Amino acid sequence: MVKFLKPNKAVIVLQGRYAGRKAVIVKSFDEGTRDRPYGHCLVAGIKKYPSKVIRKDSAKKTAKKSRVKCFVKLVNYQHLMPTRYTLDVDLKDVVTADVLQTKDKKVAACKATKERFEERFKTGKNRWFFTKLRF
Amino acid sequence: MVAAKKTKKTHESINNRLALVMKSGKYTLGYKTVLKSLRSSKDERMVEYLYFVVLDGKLIIIANNCPPLRKSEIEYYAMLCKVGVHHYNGNNVDLGTACGKYFRVCCLSIVEPGDSDILKSVPGDH
Repeated sequence: MVKFLKPNKAVIVLQGRYAGRKAVIVKSFDEGTRDRPYGHCLVAGIKKYPSKVIRKDSAKKTAKKSRVKCFVKLVNYQHLMPTRYTLDVDLKDVVTADVLQTKDKKVAACKATKERFEERFKTGKNRWFFTKLRF
Repeated sequence: MVAAKKTKKTHESINNRLALVMKSGKYTLGYKTVLKSLRSSKDERMVEYLYFVVLDGKLIIIANNCPPLRKSEIEYYAMLCKVGVHHYNGNNVDLGTACGKYFRVCCLSIVEPGDSDILKSVPGDH
């Protein structure tokens, strides 16, 4: 019996506004907290996927197409579908539990994860994570 | 002819083992709790800190008329946490009867086998 809902696991959000989006677990709270007495985790996900970049594109167009829009959210385990993929992007210092308390902290965290996701997308690794899930 | 007899014999033995688990071991019935038992981890924790009892699945049994999407979802979770899945030779009515319940059981998760040797003899076919 191996625990699989660990940090760096890629998951798919199943419910809510971000249903169908891919996310990565940053921190998991298995026992829950006082406010949320159920197993949940802090995820950082993609709100808007980067578009398909072709070789013909100019540098300006490539830069525009590779933009990623992110979200940070606390999600119940029941509303996630775990996958066998992982994404090892270091987000622990950027995305913490207190980020969700004020709006400007959240925006700053989203901007920082956006940069990390974009640089990961540009290297061409973890291609599955940055493709939109078709359904 | 021989093959049919063999499946009947093993089928009965699974039923016997399940009955023993129901009597002496810990189990959960139903899709929601099966997924919960697969998500939870194996670490020893202080029980008084928890609001609920932590259930940690060791073997999953799925009835044969389980909807295919649900069956695949349970199998995928079980693959991620390396837990065996046994496809029961019977539908949810039969599985409920085998558990000694008067309701239908589509999937169940064995947490503690108790006196039964179901975890060794039913290796779980993925």
